[in-house]
Amino acid sequence: MKPARPGSRAHNSLTPYVTGHRDAACIRSRQFSCYTRTLRSEDKVTIHFINRDGLKMTVKATPGDSLLDVVIDQNLDLDGFGACEGTLACSTCHLIFEEEVFKTLGPITDEEMDMLDLSYKPTDTSRLGCQICVHKSQEGMTVHVPESVADLRQPDVGTTSSSS
Amino acid sequence: MALVKKMLHLYLRRLSEKAENRRSLLRAAAFHKHSAGQPPPAAEENALPENRVPSAAATGRDTPAKTLNEMPGPNTISNIIEFFYRDGFSRIHEIQQQHSKKYGRIFKSRFGPQLVVSIADRDMVAEVLRAEGVAPQRANMESWKEYRDMRGRSTGLISAEGEDWMKMRSVLRQLIMRPRDVAVFSDDINAVVADLVTRVCQLRRKQPDGLTVLNVNDLFFKYAMEGVSVIMYEQRLGCLEERIPQQSLEYIAALHLMFSSFKTSMYAGAIPVWLRPFIPKPWREFCHSWDGLFKFSQIHVDRKLSEIRARLAAGEEVKGGMLTYLLVTKEMTVEEIYANMTEMLLAGVDTTSFTLSWSIYLLALHPQVQQRIYEEVERTLRPGQVPVSEDIPRMPLIRGLVKETLRLFPVLPGNGRITQKDLVVGGYLIPAGTQLALCHYSTSLDEENFPGATEFQPERWVRKDATDRVDNFGSIPFGYGIRSCIGRRIAELEMHLALTQLIQNFRIQVSPLTQVVRPKTHGLLTPGAPINVQFVDRL
Repeated sequence: MKPARPGSRAHNSLTPYVTGHRDAACIRSRQFSCYTRTLRSEDKVTIHFINRDGLKMTVKATPGDSLLDVVIDQNLDLDGFGACEGTLACSTCHLIFEEEVFKTLGPITDEEMDMLDLSYKPTDTSRLGCQICVHKSQEGMTVHVPESVADLRQPDVGTTSSSS
Repeated sequence: MALVKKMLHLYLRRLSEKAENRRSLLRAAAFHKHSAGQPPPAAEENALPENRVPSAAATGRDTPAKTLNEMPGPNTISNIIEFFYRDGFSRIHEIQQQHSKKYGRIFKSRFGPQLVVSIADRDMVAEVLRAEGVAPQRANMESWKEYRDMRGRSTGLISAEGEDWMKMRSVLRQLIMRPRDVAVFSDDINAVVADLVTRVCQLRRKQPDGLTVLNVNDLFFKYAMEGVSVIMYEQRLGCLEERIPQQSLEYIAALHLMFSSFKTSMYAGAIPVWLRPFIPKPWREFCHSWDGLFKFSQIHVDRKLSEIRARLAAGEEVKGGMLTYLLVTKEMTVEEIYANMTEMLLAGVDTTSFTLSWSIYLLALHPQVQQRIYEEVERTLRPGQVPVSEDIPRMPLIRGLVKETLRLFPVLPGNGRITQKDLVVGGYLIPAGTQLALCHYSTSLDEENFPGATEFQPERWVRKDATDRVDNFGSIPFGYGIRSCIGRRIAELEMHLALTQLIQNFRIQVSPLTQVVRPKTHGLLTPGAPINVQFVDRL
């Protein structure tokens, strides 16, 4: 068992923190870490991450974890990934999915769409890793970690608007 | 925990990378003024030698980055006249626009000893924010820190920097940043909205026409204060009652003092300590208003703390919300909790109320737009149904209304960043330690970013489908990234729920008493005159 993230602790130790709707609880259990963590290794899901340099990193992920959890727990070396700890304040966990997998990923919230708008070069199959839960059907999928930022140390970057 | 460790690891690695990058820049540029380990000084472009820019050969590009010396901008004298003589402080948002038209989308200005590089370009703003590290710095918070040191107080999320900030942010964002965590506050907020609607009816009865609410911001101020405190202190304050409790009145007075003295307290930080005996007022007022704010938070935090202790002593289960969680888990010290409650309350009241006031004003000015939003609400909710967070996604125009209001009247017309590494932006090399001003007011009213920029069009934010992307770095009223507004989701919920119910219940009309209301900068972008509106019953 890995330690629970601070957020989940909030809800375990002080359940009445939840004063609202049953629906909200539904959304929570649908999206986040809802499965038991004590799974045998054969229940794990193989996921390939292609990093920003094009290198492939293969991991065994636990169903129910978010892809951000996977990156953190497996210590994948992706600089700046998941800066806001999955609280939908940034888009640094931007991932690009294969089209077939993308279709199976489930609904996207307005807040996630707003954050994707602010990601660096989003595509039609982009999602935020913190919002995607690992599922058995994703066995063997490949996700691309796109560039997150232009290199501001290069002098030609950022000149796009300097003509005005 | 793993995440925090990872962040720290990345932070340390970035520091070493930073040093490495700097070394290569140094080699290329022959030398550089500041070193990575030291707190960066205010950038002094005039003091820097001419040959400090990386040569084209060193960077492998044909066009070398230009120095800050070459960056256009108003001179110091004209800035002094503009701001001190012509009271430019209340027109900062307009000056921002004028200067960017005159000097380009990146320009420099001087405010006394402080050099500021203003960026009024959507793409450059995006580049700067995407490049930021794990503990971005907004501005020099020395005067805030000085007050806290003097009184033995902790810093909070606004005033803290570096690791202190990272630690507190990490705790607080887990409680109030995820939309689904905030959604559970719908019922609490709706209880406040119900009081707001009742209060509208009470207030309009006092006017001869039986319809007008005078200075609607005063009402929204109390709504926002009630909303924030029901979430943060887990307690109602009675701000929307006919007779407001004395304690809440005192707090409202402290907040008003904070804002009315904002201009002078801005000088409080700018006036050197040795000058204070000669110009004592700004610093005195600054301290006085902070005293009031801290006192209020402390009363409420202490009350909750003794409640918890009493329950524990009686062997009862402790249940509660955000404050209870913080007090029970002790992830932050009590002083840190006081400071954060104080700073979050300060940040979460007038920001929300101004935005609600502008929204209502815009709805009143645009009856056809209001009608379309009303029809959407009617289509989505049953008659008299009280909306909750889960209903909002089905009313894209309500979200569009808030976004469009904040585009036209970004409550923070500009945001600050102090660069933590050397950046090339807009073709200029900006050394680490430079104060940047991100000009949100200019970018959100830029015709290139938003066609028909001065028009009120909530529809522009409605997506055709989930892959319909809006490149909206032009309007980021809550900021972006790790140091963006922590109260964003709470504020959105408060505004969505209040606006939906107001639109549901009333047709909102401009009162003949209201002249054209223009924005004014007073720390924040505020309505320059009272907004008086008529609330006519729908039915």
